[in-house]
Amino acid sequence: MNEATPVRRAKGDRRLNTASDKRTNDARTQSQYQPYKDAAWGFVNHWYPALFSEELPEDHVEGIQICGKQIVLRRVDGKIFALKDQCLHRGVRLSAKPMCYNKETITCWYHGFTYGLNDGALKTIVGNPDDPLIGTTGITTYPVHEVNGMIFVFVRDDDYPDEDVPPLSHDLPVRFPENSERFPHPLWPTPPSLLDNNAVCLGMHRTGESNWRIACENGFDNAHILVHQDNTIVQAYNWVLPLGIRPVSDDCITLIEDEDGPKGLMQWLFTDRWEPILENKTLDVKVEGLNSRFYRTSVVLPGVLLVENWPEEHIVQYEWYVPITDDTYEYWEVLVKICPTEADRKAFKYRFDRVFKPLALEGFNNCDLYAREAMQEFYADGTGWEAEQLVATDVSPITWRKVASRHNRGIAKPGKGVEGATKTSSIRMRRIAEGRKPGYFVEKITD
Amino acid sequence: MVDPFCHDVMLRFSDGVEYRVAVPPGVTVLDAALVQDVPLLFQCRSGTCSSCLAHVQDGPAAMRAGQASVLLAPEAQAGARLLCCTEVTGACTFTLDYDSAASGAGPRKARAFVDRVERIAPDAVRLVLELAEGDWIDFRPGQFIQVKVPGTEIWRSYSVASTPADLPGVELLIRLLPGGAMSGWLTSEAAPDAVIEIEGPFGAFFLTEKIRAPHIMIAGGTGLAPMMAMIDTIRAQPGRKPPLLLSFGCASPEGLFYRDELDLRRHWMPGLDVRLSVDRGESAEGLRIGNPVDAIVHEDVADPDSIAYLCGPPGLISAARAHLVGLGLNPENIHAEQFVASQ
Repeated sequence: MNEATPVRRAKGDRRLNTASDKRTNDARTQSQYQPYKDAAWGFVNHWYPALFSEELPEDHVEGIQICGKQIVLRRVDGKIFALKDQCLHRGVRLSAKPMCYNKETITCWYHGFTYGLNDGALKTIVGNPDDPLIGTTGITTYPVHEVNGMIFVFVRDDDYPDEDVPPLSHDLPVRFPENSERFPHPLWPTPPSLLDNNAVCLGMHRTGESNWRIACENGFDNAHILVHQDNTIVQAYNWVLPLGIRPVSDDCITLIEDEDGPKGLMQWLFTDRWEPILENKTLDVKVEGLNSRFYRTSVVLPGVLLVENWPEEHIVQYEWYVPITDDTYEYWEVLVKICPTEADRKAFKYRFDRVFKPLALEGFNNCDLYAREAMQEFYADGTGWEAEQLVATDVSPITWRKVASRHNRGIAKPGKGVEGATKTSSIRMRRIAEGRKPGYFVEKITD
Repeated sequence: MVDPFCHDVMLRFSDGVEYRVAVPPGVTVLDAALVQDVPLLFQCRSGTCSSCLAHVQDGPAAMRAGQASVLLAPEAQAGARLLCCTEVTGACTFTLDYDSAASGAGPRKARAFVDRVERIAPDAVRLVLELAEGDWIDFRPGQFIQVKVPGTEIWRSYSVASTPADLPGVELLIRLLPGGAMSGWLTSEAAPDAVIEIEGPFGAFFLTEKIRAPHIMIAGGTGLAPMMAMIDTIRAQPGRKPPLLLSFGCASPEGLFYRDELDLRRHWMPGLDVRLSVDRGESAEGLRIGNPVDAIVHEDVADPDSIAYLCGPPGLISAARAHLVGLGLNPENIHAEQFVASQ
């Protein structure tokens, strides 16, 4: 080597492996959705689906976890009560070994602390009925709304006041036909709502291993259509999907910020505000004979997706990505159809079991599940939210992040003393070693 | 007047502060002392948590008959008592292992590291601190702390712009004055990792929580600091938030600071309205010429229960108070913190 050669910096203005200043999510945009970036454990003080009605029969007790809050549900004379599933004495989960002496209370199986179902107050202690603690303290209760086969719980902070609990409809997508003028849908009939009379909700829920935000954004991210090209339902119906869908107008998305209603966004799909991409010359790829199914996606807080006209006419698909911890979520897929007669119900159920569940909820959406999982490691330590480089088609997630930052009713704190808060707890490790993955339901004591 | 049936009890804190309370028969020392505003630590009030541990020096003080507690017999023999279960039958003296400020009732001293010194306007600095390990102060949003100018015995008062939830981080907005002691230090010496002494909290100007009526905030210059703390606290509160109106003014457009910070809050909080004023200069989009007091108009106080927070120089406070009362605001609902520039 010639010693006279001076040492120089490499040429070029920037390295390829640093974030480009052309990315859509620059620092200023990111600051606008900082509250969303902080919401690893979800948004609290919102309505979330907890169970299907059939999962909680009369006198049954079940334990679940949402936004890092453990919740126990009990059904008595048809009515459902939800309380904090953490005994105030020593933190034991009441649902692990349900103990109920009567219709008004639930008792902790360990030391007998007994709570009123109605108000969560400490009513007595089985073996210590005169303790001065009785009547002076209690556990949080959660408002419940059961409708058309689904149980919703208002997951709230301990000090969230009763009088501020909004109706369930504020945390569900906009309804039709009352919004048909505002959000016209000339290509499909009036979409049903799960709140409608005679609405039947059929679906499934399962635990996914990623942060809930990654899952939620996947639901209405128009650029991910590529992942679905080969799905059986697409092939079976001879749908031909575009390579992507690009926003071509400032009003491609309308914010939903109703004073007394849901907060979120509506995407004007299958209008001239979004352009299907049929060709990529760089790669010499071309789509011929476009034949998409018409659909439209909207999302509202706390992360509720509505896919209109999907997977068939007169049916809609709802999805929730209910945070369990910061790295697990309960993925809910629910199809809703109005079924006025028993025959309609039967027919819908048959088609659900034979077609929609295997081909749509599983076949089609399984792709989404593994796509979310594939993103998780990048976002797991939180730095992915700064490092990601978004592009024009990411207008949907960015708009969602901003509207969610503005209208959420609270950012969940990392669950304290709950499952999954300490990733390496010995019990968690033992369960994993025994082949049981961390999930949504309480691990019941079977002895 | 001393109730003849009550017993005279002395409570002595580790810092030498003493409280005398009258304890009626059958009432626990804790209950009696709390009624009389003694800053005792306590939590469970049922003999379990030991927060209210004290030591009896002399006098007949016994644990309540039949009361189970976590106190062991040898501990009790050595004089330990849980005040939540202790009754007296005559005059007694107790000592406490903690100082009279431990319950957070009074100000205390702490040391803090400088994290950042940022010039946010020609005459204003944002000073970001972090409390040193083992040191702590607590405060309510709106209250102020005192900062010792390093290398001197001079103390200065500044409202905290960050929230209690941000602790151990503490953020201050400081106006630079020509020849000022703190200004001199900030502009020439202050640098990350410097250690400074602070004391707090002080002041009765703080956010009254859980009020649903509209909040009107008027701030001049660095009087914005307590408003930022209050706005961010309200933002993080569970439950419906009150409508907020912030009117913030500075002398000139160049001197106006925190526009990005306020824009963000406006974006994050649908119920927040921000009005910006400067005394002189060109009016521009989102910026009016005039003082922040006049930016508040009759419609802004339509709700008779509206409450107001004012912070700034004395002239601004008196003008704002007169203006708001004139618009029909209840004088009792006006809270003010006025600052006087140090010489």
